[in-house]
Amino acid sequence: MSDMAIEARGLVKRYGDLTAVDGIDLHVEAGAIYAMLGPNGAGKTTTIGMLTTLVQPTAGEARVAGFDVVRQAKQVRSHIGVTFQDIVLDQDLTGRQVLDIHGRLYRQDGELRRKRIVDLVDLVQLGDAIDRIVKTYSGGMKRRLELARGLMTDPSVLFLDEPTQGLDPQNRTSIWSYIRDLNRQSGLTLLLTTHYMEEADALAHQVGIVDRGKLVAQGTPSGLVAQLGADVIRVRGHGDSAHFVEEIKRMPFVERVEFDGDSGNVSVYVDSGSRRLVEIVGAGGGNGYSVEDVTVARPSLGDAFLHHTGRALRD
Amino acid sequence: MYATYVIWSKHMTKFWRSTEELVGLALQSVLWVVLFGVGMRGMVADVGGSDYMSYILPGIIALSALGGAVGGGMVLLDERLRGITKEYLAAPIPRLSILLGNASSTATKALIQATIMLIVGVLMGARLTVNPLGWLAALLLLALFAIGFSGLALAVAAVSRSIGGYHGMIFLFNLPLLFASNALYPLSVLPGWMRVIVLLNPTTYLIDAVRSLAFGVAPTLPLLLSLVVVLLFAVLGTWLALSLFRRSIRV
Ligand SMILES: Nc1ncnc2c1ncn2[C@@H]1O[C@H](COP(=O)(O)OP(=O)(O)O)[C@@H](O)[C@H]1O
Ligand SMILES: [Mg+2]
Repeated sequence: MSDMAIEARGLVKRYGDLTAVDGIDLHVEAGAIYAMLGPNGAGKTTTIGMLTTLVQPTAGEARVAGFDVVRQAKQVRSHIGVTFQDIVLDQDLTGRQVLDIHGRLYRQDGELRRKRIVDLVDLVQLGDAIDRIVKTYSGGMKRRLELARGLMTDPSVLFLDEPTQGLDPQNRTSIWSYIRDLNRQSGLTLLLTTHYMEEADALAHQVGIVDRGKLVAQGTPSGLVAQLGADVIRVRGHGDSAHFVEEIKRMPFVERVEFDGDSGNVSVYVDSGSRRLVEIVGAGGGNGYSVEDVTVARPSLGDAFLHHTGRALRD
Repeated sequence: MYATYVIWSKHMTKFWRSTEELVGLALQSVLWVVLFGVGMRGMVADVGGSDYMSYILPGIIALSALGGAVGGGMVLLDERLRGITKEYLAAPIPRLSILLGNASSTATKALIQATIMLIVGVLMGARLTVNPLGWLAALLLLALFAIGFSGLALAVAAVSRSIGGYHGMIFLFNLPLLFASNALYPLSVLPGWMRVIVLLNPTTYLIDAVRSLAFGVAPTLPLLLSLVVVLLFAVLGTWLALSLFRRSIRV
């Protein structure tokens, strides 16, 4: 067995004419946090579905924790934990009952279940609320309970589909910190999906950018960003933007220019933002394009996304 | 299968917790018996030599078993629509145990309701036979019937897209099963065409058998035939639930 926790080759899922996942290869090392970053409809949930044996692949193969997801589905299931994109909880049970029943489904004995629940309530800081009915929980508490449920059976690989979707920033950062701690302390392998680039940036060792069912780029967050250039000058304005783009593309220090058709924003990658700013802005004036706003920044994962897909990543 | 038991016990936990559902169930049972039994008793003194309460109680019990099954189907539907089925599907348990867990909790609820009904009916003056073996046989038949109808309800729940759709479909089964049967009036008073429909309805056989086994009313149909029909109904319901459920989890 290799030390890859997740290995997928050429995964495809078609629904009739629609190709939800279009040939995805994944290699996630044991102990790593891997984030699939992509917009809604990119095929992230379907990919997780195939890796967690819930969705039958149309083509390709995958191994999770060393087991084939089709032929050894049962072994895969007993080695993984999953949280789903939508909150999937029995509203009429207490948090403790939710965790306990989950453990029983995996045939954990009573002693072990009690111990796990104590540990997990501590980890996700649910405190006394664990004995309240789930219906009374806030969104953040529900997500934390789901995280605890995914961890209940001590999986070797944990799948989190959009773990912070719909949460406020404070709840989001606390979920991030649990995930980071878990990974550091127990070496748990995590595959998560997200359409928040901050989330991928904050958590992942490896990021895969997915768009329209394809994995279009892969690397460390800093590696993906470093390919782009040292600095990015973002220009917003109106007028003949095509001409403006042509104009600055000719400048020798400009490494790359990207134009987001939807927003009309122009991103100019240069060796040094502060030194080149004046020339870039100057290229606009008098050429049928007037600049309204300029910012200089380090490129972000969002820029990497735009670069690889030709579209901006929006919530 | 252990997972079946876990799912069953979870559903029963939720059932005992929901006081509204429980009180509703009990009240409904009492209301049926009181409204039908007492109301009609004033009009109809006796049917075929037995008092009207004993005569209609089996029908009311069958009806309440249907009510219990409808509630059980709702649990499966609710878990499907909320996505809770996914938790089961991701767990290392047989697919079948998901259905069996639902079916057993549904049938349990149907039986509990039937039992409440029976007790209320007896308190209201229905006369049981003195033969406990007869009661047992009647309960067994009721359990089979509950399984059959639970199967039907679960099959509908496995494919419905909404709660409204589910109730609409169930309604279509529910009413004819009760009214196009011998639950409220004897077969002999029905016109010929109606009798044909009534004889196609498994509820008729259940009621006829329960009447004779538990309440000592003379059977109008061969007891063995009734037993076979109810058994077939249970098998059919289970098969239907199984095939539609299989289809619903294939992705
Ligand atoms: N069961 C299904 N039947 C038909 N189409 C589906 C199904 N599940 C997903 N899709 C389609 O597949 C595409 C990818 O969906 P999904 O994997 O949910 O994307 P993401 O999680 O990245 O938002 C979408 O266009 C979606 O509508
Ligand atoms: Mg998704």
